[in-house]
Amino acid sequence: MIVANQLKKHFKVHKRPPGFGAAVKSLFHRTYETVKAVDGVSFSIERGERVGFLGPNGAGKTTTLKVLAGLLHPTSGEATVEGFVPFQRAPELLSKITLVMGQKSQLIWDLPPAETYEMNRAIFDVPRAQFDATLKELTELLELGDLVDKPTRQLSLGERMKCELCAALLHRPTTLFLDEPTIGLDVAMQVAIRDFVRSYNQRHDATVLLTSHYMDDVVALCPRIIVIDRGTLIHDGDLRGLVKQMDPDKRVSFTVATTGQAEDDALARLGTVLAKDGKRITLRVPERELPGVVGELLGKLAVSDLAIEDPPLEDILRKMFGKART
Amino acid sequence: MTKRSSTLSRTVRALPTLLRVGVAETVAYRAEFIVWILTTTQPLIMMSLWTSVAHGGSFKGYDADAFIAYYLATLLVRQLTGNWVAWQMMEEIRMGTMAMRLLRPIHPFVTYMASHLAALPFRSIIAAPLVVILLITSASGGITHDAVQLSVLPLAIAMAWLITFAILFAIGALAFFLTQTTAISTLYFGLFSLFSGYLLPLDLLPAPIAKVAAVLPFRFTLAMPVELITHTLPHAQLAHLLAAQAAWTAGLVAFAVWIWNAGVRRFEAVGT
Amino acid sequence: MRKYLRLVAIQLRISVASAMAYRANFLIEGVMAAAWLGLTLLPLIVLYGARTEVNGWDLPSALVVMAYFTGLRAVLEGVISPSLVDLVERIRNGSFDYVLLKPVDAQAMVSASRYEPWKAFDLVGAIALLVYAFHRRGVAPSAAEIALGAGLFVVGALAMYALWIVCAAASFWVGRLDNLMYLLGAIFDTGRWPVMVLPGAWRFIFTFVIPIAVMTTFPAMALLGTLDGTAALATIAGTCALLVVSRWVWRAAIRNYTSASS
Repeated sequence: MIVANQLKKHFKVHKRPPGFGAAVKSLFHRTYETVKAVDGVSFSIERGERVGFLGPNGAGKTTTLKVLAGLLHPTSGEATVEGFVPFQRAPELLSKITLVMGQKSQLIWDLPPAETYEMNRAIFDVPRAQFDATLKELTELLELGDLVDKPTRQLSLGERMKCELCAALLHRPTTLFLDEPTIGLDVAMQVAIRDFVRSYNQRHDATVLLTSHYMDDVVALCPRIIVIDRGTLIHDGDLRGLVKQMDPDKRVSFTVATTGQAEDDALARLGTVLAKDGKRITLRVPERELPGVVGELLGKLAVSDLAIEDPPLEDILRKMFGKART
Repeated sequence: MTKRSSTLSRTVRALPTLLRVGVAETVAYRAEFIVWILTTTQPLIMMSLWTSVAHGGSFKGYDADAFIAYYLATLLVRQLTGNWVAWQMMEEIRMGTMAMRLLRPIHPFVTYMASHLAALPFRSIIAAPLVVILLITSASGGITHDAVQLSVLPLAIAMAWLITFAILFAIGALAFFLTQTTAISTLYFGLFSLFSGYLLPLDLLPAPIAKVAAVLPFRFTLAMPVELITHTLPHAQLAHLLAAQAAWTAGLVAFAVWIWNAGVRRFEAVGT
Repeated sequence: MRKYLRLVAIQLRISVASAMAYRANFLIEGVMAAAWLGLTLLPLIVLYGARTEVNGWDLPSALVVMAYFTGLRAVLEGVISPSLVDLVERIRNGSFDYVLLKPVDAQAMVSASRYEPWKAFDLVGAIALLVYAFHRRGVAPSAAEIALGAGLFVVGALAMYALWIVCAAASFWVGRLDNLMYLLGAIFDTGRWPVMVLPGAWRFIFTFVIPIAVMTTFPAMALLGTLDGTAALATIAGTCALLVVSRWVWRAAIRNYTSASS
């Protein structure tokens, strides 16, 4: 159970313009400006939910996650995680949560991940039997094999990420904060990690908060999406709802048999032509007109390879952030 | 010939920017910079010790004023010539950022030199005037007044800087060959403290050690410039010392570049 | 408590295993320890080659101070410095966040995170120096003097640790501070001399402001039987105060870190 209430986090950042004179001046006098990373965000998440945070770079997603994990204390507002105030860092809470940062590693660099696992076992005071069982489960799910016995620096990025996830879950946390866990990984690895997170969530009823740049991560994994832009919450709800709200029109793609003026006129009557690639055409059609349009396309115009899709998430978000800026 | 001169001219053209960025880097971390000024405190401690000892009577030809002059001069020269390029190189190799530096069309000897030279004005601004004032007011008897000698002092210090840099650069390049180079850095500092006169004036050392010190290059990184400040030498001896220093400078710079090139070849062959 | 001991044991095991991985290290470290000892003894040898005593300190008693210095240095470079380097590195690459996420006290976790086991050679050197010094002196220390001397060694190590924590806390505020360990080493260097040998101003600073000399001179005096009770008690009380202050500074640093890092 995670609750955020009017959460704000502002930073003082030192400004340093380029140039020699400015460099010397900054030795003696520094100017600061306030960055409002999180500016009044509220939401509430139940146990076992999988929630994705979406937003452009610098939107405040990572900062929000860090506040919830207790790494930062908020400038104002409240946050509670499983009944605890995160930044007080009660050991009881720390034993129940985990934070995985895709850009930073907790594995000891020169040693095999197995050593880091041993350290974590001692730190979290995990009984040996439970530790062995958890490690076995995670090794199977993540397909670690003998990776854990190779020094971390010898592992590839994807292998390292898998070992990171294992290290983060050895104490069987019930709340997972995942900050860009798939960054820099290839598609196959991204899919593997998504599958893993979903199955962990289902097995242990663990709450998952995920931030990612990759739409596919969020779409595949999170039924609920929270969109944050410039520190404020723009949308909180399920993906379907978001899409419907922002752009209720469907995308219909198909291949025509012939092209020509007559066909163009016919298509123009049915909907807005979005893309034309030789004989492959994409139309934008309001949902309520869909049955009629499809009927015409298949019947009168005899198109083939017909596909009906929601608008791409990227377009939705671009539209959202564009909207918020006006 | 044209390829080499175009590399040279490119290097020369890039120098102002390299220096400017080096300044910005130095300033970026004010506190660290102050820490660096403070870490060269050993001469001050030694100075207190030996002046305290010399109050009971001059020690092997050095009275209290002579010790003060010696160690203040040591502090001045050390502030102006000390650098940490070996450590910096080892870090870059360890962190993997050395590869970036190798991709640039300017020889790293120059790029490292530029960033360390860039720190000089700041270290001088803070350290040198203070020391100079102290030198003049408290130990005016212990300082030379020979104009010729003082005029070549900047040259001697410049060469001392270059020798120190070349040795440390060579040590840093050893990181291409060895994994554990901290021991070598420590060893170097030990040798430096002993044979350069940093720890004790060379003529106070036991005879066998002093003999070894006379033939090593370390004395030219510190003891010789200090001598130019605190003693008045016959001009013939002065010329002789400068020539020896110049020879060591040229030889060590060549050696450093040679080790570096060998190291880079190995680095490119092996990877890490 | 047992948890922390277990962590220390694991970290020690890892460090020793890493150290043993390079067998050449054994020879190198042994030679380095001997060479360093020779270098530090050199000024003493030069000094006492021409004088029999300085400000009431003769060669054997100066050697005892040097022995304490060497011993404390072994602790500094064997445990404290490596852990400090590790901490500064973690702050720099951001993985210090992971320390804060663990249900252990952050200060405890970073204080003994890395070791340099070969510094044990310096401890051996320190003891050898002690044995030689008392041999030259001709009089062995009494049991009470040994007990007090050993106790004050531990107190000295704790005082040094407290100073280190304050420096480590400083690295939070000012960002990158890699040369911190050089600074500590440079200040600590003054402890190799009996504080009475230094002139007045330094004597004051190194006794009351940055009590480095107190860590070496006073325990040496205890072992030599010349330390009075008040000074011993003052040393212990001062160290306790230092530890309290260092804890407070550390916590302030963490509070600052958790409000400023993004």
